[in-house]
Amino acid sequence: MSALDLGMAPPRRTDAARRVARRGLLFALPAILLLVAIYIVPMLVLAGFSVTDYQLGALNWDFVGLKNFRDAFADPVFLRALWNTVLYAVIVIPAGVFLALGVALLVHGRKRSRAFWETAYFLPVTATLVAMATVWQFLLHPSLGPVNAAIRWLGFEPVSFLGNPALLIPTMAVIGIWQVLGFNMVLFLAGLTAIPKDLHEAARLDGARHPLDRFLTVTWPMLGPTTMFVTVTTSISAFKVFETVAVLTKGRSGSEVLLYALYLEGFEYSNTGYAAALTLIFLAIVLVLSLGQSVQMDRKVHY
Amino acid sequence: MSRLTRYLPHLVLALGAAVMLLPFYWMLLTSLRSPAEIFDISLWPVPREPAAVANYAQAATTVPMARFMWNGLVVCAGILIVQVLTAVPCAYALAKLRFPGRRLLMALVIAALCVPMQALALPLFVGLATAGLLNTYFAMMAPFFLSVFAIFLFTQAFRSYPDEIIEAARMDGFSELEICWRLVLRGALPSLAAFSVFSVVAHWNDLYWPMIVVNKPTLAPPPLGMLFFSDVETGANYGALMAGATLITAPMVVCFLLARRHFIAGITMTGVK
Amino acid sequence: MTITRRLALSALALGLAAPSFALAEDVTLNVLYNLPGFTKFHQPLADEFMKQNPGVKINFLAPAAGYNDGQQQVLRAAVTNELPDVYFSGYNLTAELVHTLAPRGQIQDLGPFIEAEGGAAFLSANFTPNMSALGVIDGKQYGLPVNASSPIMYVNADLVTKAGGDPADMPTTFPELIALAKRIHEMDPKVAGMSYDIAGWPDDWLWQAMITQQGGTLVDTATGKVGFDNEIGLNALTMIRQMAAEAGAPTFDWDQARQQFGAGLTGVLFSTPAHVQTIEGLVGDRFPLVTTTFPLDNKERGGVPTGGNSAVMLTSDAAKQKAAWNYIKFVTGPEAQNVIVRITGYLPTNKLATGEAYLAPYYHDHPNVATAARQAERSLPWAGYPGGDSVRIWRTQRDIIGTVMRGEVTPEAGLAQIVEQTNALMK
Repeated sequence: MSALDLGMAPPRRTDAARRVARRGLLFALPAILLLVAIYIVPMLVLAGFSVTDYQLGALNWDFVGLKNFRDAFADPVFLRALWNTVLYAVIVIPAGVFLALGVALLVHGRKRSRAFWETAYFLPVTATLVAMATVWQFLLHPSLGPVNAAIRWLGFEPVSFLGNPALLIPTMAVIGIWQVLGFNMVLFLAGLTAIPKDLHEAARLDGARHPLDRFLTVTWPMLGPTTMFVTVTTSISAFKVFETVAVLTKGRSGSEVLLYALYLEGFEYSNTGYAAALTLIFLAIVLVLSLGQSVQMDRKVHY
Repeated sequence: MSRLTRYLPHLVLALGAAVMLLPFYWMLLTSLRSPAEIFDISLWPVPREPAAVANYAQAATTVPMARFMWNGLVVCAGILIVQVLTAVPCAYALAKLRFPGRRLLMALVIAALCVPMQALALPLFVGLATAGLLNTYFAMMAPFFLSVFAIFLFTQAFRSYPDEIIEAARMDGFSELEICWRLVLRGALPSLAAFSVFSVVAHWNDLYWPMIVVNKPTLAPPPLGMLFFSDVETGANYGALMAGATLITAPMVVCFLLARRHFIAGITMTGVK
Repeated sequence: MTITRRLALSALALGLAAPSFALAEDVTLNVLYNLPGFTKFHQPLADEFMKQNPGVKINFLAPAAGYNDGQQQVLRAAVTNELPDVYFSGYNLTAELVHTLAPRGQIQDLGPFIEAEGGAAFLSANFTPNMSALGVIDGKQYGLPVNASSPIMYVNADLVTKAGGDPADMPTTFPELIALAKRIHEMDPKVAGMSYDIAGWPDDWLWQAMITQQGGTLVDTATGKVGFDNEIGLNALTMIRQMAAEAGAPTFDWDQARQQFGAGLTGVLFSTPAHVQTIEGLVGDRFPLVTTTFPLDNKERGGVPTGGNSAVMLTSDAAKQKAAWNYIKFVTGPEAQNVIVRITGYLPTNKLATGEAYLAPYYHDHPNVATAARQAERSLPWAGYPGGDSVRIWRTQRDIIGTVMRGEVTPEAGLAQIVEQTNALMK
């Protein structure tokens, strides 16, 4: 086991240290077993499927090597899904992070009304998407919905948010921001609470008179780690976008995303082998992205 | 000028909140309206002919709503209990005990954070099926027994617990289990509250997994039960549909309101900053 | 309301009764149907069946959300040997189902059971040849039809009258209909003249209808290639483009289209007769609602595809098979069909059901429901594509049809794409 011990200084072989190590392993054991059963074994099974042409329910299958992976990068639907997911993430990540920061700053300054605003902005996190799908269909309806009524009132042409394929991903992204904003706000509020009050005082004495100056000299740098964490969690959830698509558009042209593409292949088309290959590609992308960010996060956290 | 700076934040917040709450407002409003008014664009809160009683009665009786809620409760509670039972000791070990493989485990936990459940659904389904466990509460809960998010969150929270106290407790003869559960976790109760809200909300609302492993109506959690309403082929009583949606959403809102006070303190404590 | 309350009670009772022990001679049939809304006829039928057959208990599994979902659920269950005993399979997917399950011995040929009832005489006494053919795969009767429908028109009589049309005498060809819809749309640009939600439909029913109403075919049996790579296919796409460009047909989801029609902002809506009651409910008394038959550009050879499902038997247990056959015979029989039609607006699949003893008086009182029956002799099978990839083929076609409908691609180029990609997927 100690061969797995990466980067830790070799512990002195005292009895106490051995005892602690034994206890540590024992305490972590249930979680480790579950990690193996829920993540690692299924991943290995997927890796096995991915080099076959197995179709769910078929009686026999063949080994096809890396064909599934080659096919994936020539598959227009998969490539569109990849592009759409990136587009979705590019909208959701900055908007979800900075709008949440703005809301958190405003809410943090409130005294008596703070509880109300926290609740108002957090509520969407608790929403049941299946139930909300019908609500969005109505709200965004070109001729029946209040959103388009407002657009018409302002003198513009009504917009078919769920009809025009070019608008599907942006519409999904707005719903994604709606869902993630409250969660991120809470994280930022926590970060803001942790900033010592006297730092602001010191900055004021140092001549940072304008609130904006104080934000730039104190708040923003102090929030650095929070911002990193929020960015990482938002990107992960952005790449995991699935339910909005499954419930609102059923993956109509223009709204294909990675998870939906592999759901289609795996569960709708029963193309198990190919779906497994897509899953591995998806996991590779998400892991690389988040590992890159975590490395950066580590650097920033220990300044 | 000073009045403006005083009220401007409220104004901005109010506009934002209006956007955030519009879907909820519309849901509630429609649940009170009769079919004749469903298509009115107006957001006027008082329905012309109140149909609330009819809508809610239909939502509660066309499908066994109480049964769905009970199923949701069982699944959420089961998941949360096992998640806490496995994540707390693991997080304590990661935060306070030096053991071989600790870094590797932490790396695995962080990596697993990015793996969506949907990606592993197929092998998990086949596994549960071969074990003959489909159509059970267990099948609905099992894939979520380990929450890497909980491990991550609790590890961060436990790290800030003073080592001196742990040492002192060991001197006093406290067992490691007692230290973990009675001292360290008690010091981090708000983060437990925060995590509980996340976990319960996520699993109460999950549709994807129950849809795959359960096909008995008696086991369906609320969102799967919702499908009985919003049936593509025939269903269209939007008032009752929204009444059902409101009934399903309400427990989560209450749950958040109850935990709200500890909530932000809990996140602060995790040192996710 | 009585039905629904009974459903609630029985579902609860089911949950409570689950651990009780079944008597040795009792048979419990696990039954899966698609579309949760069908509970409203499946449950009372099962109650009636259990009353007539005291030894048999019908246990419904949670209904699948749609035909594709149900198919996937059954295929997954086949791998894990948790198959339902009786399943109601979508017509266009039954062939794929049989091709997957038959080699595993997990689906039963109904031939021997029909033989025991009198064979061909039994079939012809109950079903028209068109109907019983819906359940025939590779020459064997695997299923018997339970629900059948073909697309019909829902007409907003106010809008049609205002545009100079006659709701009682609607156009019977698409060019005339599109011209009328165009006039409706021009009176008020906010109103859609018609709604043909082909780009949002979950299966290719409405697309097949555009082909078959002109007398075309989906697949050329001689070459095994696409059968509409000709004037017919081009015509279909051109008219679909006209619907959007001239008559203001919306391009969003069918839910939204149905909402818009209910709000009185659509002249003519195309949909399944199973929606009659839903749409009547949505419309309320906003405007007079009329339904009428699907237009046919080719009056001699044109027809409409039949949607719906057949009952198939999946159990291999002899005792269960006997009970399952009785159940299948019951739900496809005249008594049950009479109930189904009155609750849903579907076509009766059993020809005995249309007689005076059952449906004739009902049709007289409910003309909107009778529409589907009026085009019964025009009903064609709902075809699937050979090669078992019908779901993927439709998703591909639908995306291309969407681009044509929005005018991003010409009908000519769109047809070329559809033909090329469909042929490629039809291995």
